[in-house]
Amino acid sequence: MVKLEELKEAVKNILDQGKVKYVIAYKTNPNSLRTVPFFIKDSNDVDQITWNPLCVYNLARFLVDEKRRKAREKNPDTRPVGVVVKGCDSRAVNVLLQENYIKRQDVYIIGVSCEKTGVIDEKKLTKKLNGRRAQKVEFGPDSQFIVTTRNGQEKISAAEILADRCLECQANFPVVYDILLGEETKRKPEKPFQSVEKIESLSQKEKWAFWQKELGKCIRCYACRSACPMCYCDECVVDTINFAVTAETTAEEKAQKIKWVEKSPLLSENFIYHLVRALHLAGRCVDCGECERACPFDIPLRFLNKKLEKEAKELFGYKVGFDPDQPPLLSSFKDEDPEDFIW
Amino acid sequence: MADNFEPKIVAFLCKWCSSAGSDLAGVSRMEYPPNAVPITVMCSGSVSPLYILSALNKGADGVLVSGCHPGDCHYIKGNLYARRRLYLVKKILEFVGLEPQRFQMSWISAAEGTKYTQVIKDYVNQVKAIGPQTKLRRNL
Repeated sequence: MVKLEELKEAVKNILDQGKVKYVIAYKTNPNSLRTVPFFIKDSNDVDQITWNPLCVYNLARFLVDEKRRKAREKNPDTRPVGVVVKGCDSRAVNVLLQENYIKRQDVYIIGVSCEKTGVIDEKKLTKKLNGRRAQKVEFGPDSQFIVTTRNGQEKISAAEILADRCLECQANFPVVYDILLGEETKRKPEKPFQSVEKIESLSQKEKWAFWQKELGKCIRCYACRSACPMCYCDECVVDTINFAVTAETTAEEKAQKIKWVEKSPLLSENFIYHLVRALHLAGRCVDCGECERACPFDIPLRFLNKKLEKEAKELFGYKVGFDPDQPPLLSSFKDEDPEDFIW
Repeated sequence: MADNFEPKIVAFLCKWCSSAGSDLAGVSRMEYPPNAVPITVMCSGSVSPLYILSALNKGADGVLVSGCHPGDCHYIKGNLYARRRLYLVKKILEFVGLEPQRFQMSWISAAEGTKYTQVIKDYVNQVKAIGPQTKLRRNL
């Protein structure tokens, strides 16, 4: 069991020793049940740190922001940044390392093990509590969560309120870390691609109807892109608004910018956007589920990424985020790659 | 309507092989359907999945990508990268409910003019059978 005191102690130590610039962790939000990302510079603030099943965010995203911030500074602080990571987040860090986007010495990784459970899905919890409001959610023994409501404590088994991604998680402990808190446990999911197989079993017409309904809801707020630790391109192919315009950019260059996808949230454009995003994340998505959680319309975006993860594993034997030294999925090949679809 | 439907096919052809193959078919006066719009690319490995999606988005009924046989790539291994990447494109198109025939890949060398005509014939017939592509087409 990860003890909160140990986590606080570890963060306090590295801050006091001056090993890191700051540490990215979680803290409770006084106004709601949720947690919020917390940037600690002063070791006196470590008491605010929290670790509970509501720490859903993937903090690896902030390493991307940190790199950009550092690039703009004149005299950047070259010390590493501390970051608290769960199993999935550590795989995200691994992919960033694999792509050489960040360097290993620029990040100090504090791994926390999910220990056979994971984080909860707030919607599932609300449904389970049936109108009562949770005040606190804690990890309990034997894969259970202890939920405190006005009526007292209640034990809920993990399988009931775990987020979908955690139910399909293949390694719920960090794979890369400087300090590890909690045990390295293994919980092999019985069906790691259960959700994808459900959609695969539909007929072609039903699949189209399903995605038409889901992607028709998209308003193109790009929350999925903003929450994703892998969506770090400075210029996004679907959204020319963030094409880097500098003083040297001529009017002609601006006019000639290719507009691959319309900005309007039309069904066809939504499809292109989400398919392109899924393909750009092929072999990079670590299934942290942030896109799906950030989506204001609850579009099951995870399925698209999970499908490609499944294909990568089954056809090319590629596992995402376990080895920072393996060549990326789409920049490598094997002689025996499938060829049966080619005439 | 369905009987006289003529599909519009966008064909991305590798400059070093398939494009030369289509040229051979042309100079040899072989006949094949005029439905394919050829676009010469430097390598099948340079075909981004976005090209394929964009072609479907802008009104293509089918997309064909053709490159060199494995081992014959002008850039040594471009077609092998393409093979892996475009396989995923095919899988994801199928996953969201498109007909898998909307996208096809083939290996055609510069000497295979006859194979080029055969591939175009077969592919046009295949797309004809499934009808116009409206799912990803932009309706403004």
